[in-house]
Amino acid sequence: MSDLKETLKEQIIEQLNLEDLTPADIQNEISLFGDEGLGLDSIDALEFIVLLEQHYGIKIEDPSEGKEIFQSVDSLAAYIEKNR
Amino acid sequence: MRILGACKVSKEGVIVNNESKTELLASSDDWKKELYSSLKIDYPKFHKMDALAKMAFLSFQYLEQVIETDRFQDDEIAMLFANTYSSYDTDQKYLESYTVKGSPSPSLFVYTLPNILTGELSIFKKWYGENIFFIHENFDPEFFIDQINFYLSKGAKACLCGWVDAANENEECLLFMVDNTTGEITKDELLNYYKQ
Amino acid sequence: MKIHVTGYGLISSIGYGADDSIQSLRNEKTGIERGRLAHSKKYNVGAIHLSNSELKKRYNLSTDGSRTALLGMVAAKQAFEGHALLDDVRTGLISGTSVGGMDISEAEYKKYLDQDGHNPDNYKHHSSGVGSEQIAQELGISEFINTISTACSSATNAIMMGARMIRNGSLDRVIVGGTDGLTAFTIAGFKSLMIFDDEWCKPFDESRKGLNLGEGAGYIVLESDKSISITKKEPLAVLSGWSNASDAFHQTASSPDGHGAQLSMEEALNVAGLSARDIDYINAHGTATPNNDLSESQAIKGIFGDNIPPFSSTKSYTGHTLAASGGIEAVFAILAIRNGYLYPNLNFNKAIEETGLIPQQSFEENRTVKHVLSNSFGFGGNNSTIILSAV
Repeated sequence: MSDLKETLKEQIIEQLNLEDLTPADIQNEISLFGDEGLGLDSIDALEFIVLLEQHYGIKIEDPSEGKEIFQSVDSLAAYIEKNR
Repeated sequence: MRILGACKVSKEGVIVNNESKTELLASSDDWKKELYSSLKIDYPKFHKMDALAKMAFLSFQYLEQVIETDRFQDDEIAMLFANTYSSYDTDQKYLESYTVKGSPSPSLFVYTLPNILTGELSIFKKWYGENIFFIHENFDPEFFIDQINFYLSKGAKACLCGWVDAANENEECLLFMVDNTTGEITKDELLNYYKQ
Repeated sequence: MKIHVTGYGLISSIGYGADDSIQSLRNEKTGIERGRLAHSKKYNVGAIHLSNSELKKRYNLSTDGSRTALLGMVAAKQAFEGHALLDDVRTGLISGTSVGGMDISEAEYKKYLDQDGHNPDNYKHHSSGVGSEQIAQELGISEFINTISTACSSATNAIMMGARMIRNGSLDRVIVGGTDGLTAFTIAGFKSLMIFDDEWCKPFDESRKGLNLGEGAGYIVLESDKSISITKKEPLAVLSGWSNASDAFHQTASSPDGHGAQLSMEEALNVAGLSARDIDYINAHGTATPNNDLSESQAIKGIFGDNIPPFSSTKSYTGHTLAASGGIEAVFAILAIRNGYLYPNLNFNKAIEETGLIPQQSFEENRTVKHVLSNSFGFGGNNSTIILSAV
């Protein structure tokens, strides 16, 4: 699980073009969206959908489902563990 | 009109009102990130921005250290920007996202217009004034002076101007702000800020 | 000085002109159905069932062009019918489009990939401006031609620019509006943003999922006092207000409180010298995306308070025709004023929880409709409003 989280952080940086950041800048539990944490938005949520599909073969059809899944690296990793 | 302040950022460093502020290594590819860290501000959206928006954002932070922009109402500041290469730098990255990496990236796509940087500044400051972005062959001080005059005559109290370009490994950004106080700006004055 | 409207024309999936469009609106007959072409067959779209060559033949078009340009020619010619080019009436065309000649480029690119008769010359239709030049050529207009591409507010911004040019004396008469053909590019683009409804879109409904795309074109003719003293055309309506305001929120999404939309409606009322209670009908932007309809509802509440006039989204009929929508909806507004119509908002069932607004749900006529406010909001918080008024 912790390996998965590290991999996810690298993939998030790659997928969202956050070239300024390193995996160490992203904590497992911080909120990825909103003005705190990483400050991501609805466009970035689409990037997560692409990321899940490309790297983990998980398809999300309804973008509103993403809200809870993409909340943090923790929640993202838990969702992947459950669904892959 | 009168120039309230000018700031040039590039990987050679930061110059505010003709005064050099910071020395950065010319070889540093991360110069924008370094400047951001040195400013000690917390605005996570910065990391998502493209090079144009990042440079304008940084330069604006230094300008705000010498200009009190909040004395203007949220719709009193017009924004006037221009460059040569439009969003070419991001266009290239977007192209790569689907030709090389296999999937068109929505978060890159939103930056494939140069005037997104005026949007980023508007979002940061919650400004609702006029804004425009021109594509020009070169920095043209006369054009800026004419346009500023136009905005000030149409009711804007101040004008935030910028020349922000990123292409072919060359990144440069000059921001300057003028208000409607009596006075004149000369072509040479602007050229000096640009060439410094 | 008044900005007189002396002509209108439109084509969309619910009608090839004003009469059959009204018939569809009256009979609550939507133009949205399962697509019939390769790129649209998985989706519900508001498509016009005439191919490019059928359009050319049926409407006797002498200029070649992309689907966007051809649809534009049909609607602009309709709007300009009965008008003549005159030496002392400076006449322009300002046309909005988001997709330009993409349909031709897509076909040509496929030929390139298949190595089947690829002709790079055909990419000349690609640029948005070329389509406007072709429409102008078909009408014989050369004095002033301009193209506006601000996504879904393009046509409304074209109308606004035309009004301002007439007001400051740069033109005497101008054909303004917008056009967009349905292409694989737009369908794929909106699909990737995940704002499609797989069924029929439900503007202002709590369970709305997203939009249906459509295609079409809509133009109106604006004239100055001086111009109508020469052309002797009968004013059909007056363009009384216009505005464009930014949201300062996000590159694509609208702010949840609809601040930019509110600024835009407020300023259009100012320009028209009207107050909110003068408005008899709102033709909403109403795309049926969760984001737009909430934001627009909040903005409408902000402007109109508890006295909200009848409002509806005719995109439940035409689909979202993008850069054409402001032009098509301007024509609907003029028809509403001239005939006292109110148009129903199809597929509405339950009000949005946060705002509780209930749109107009039946077709009505013989109402007093003096002032119609029409909204068009583009990506990037590019919010525009026009107000059309009775003569």
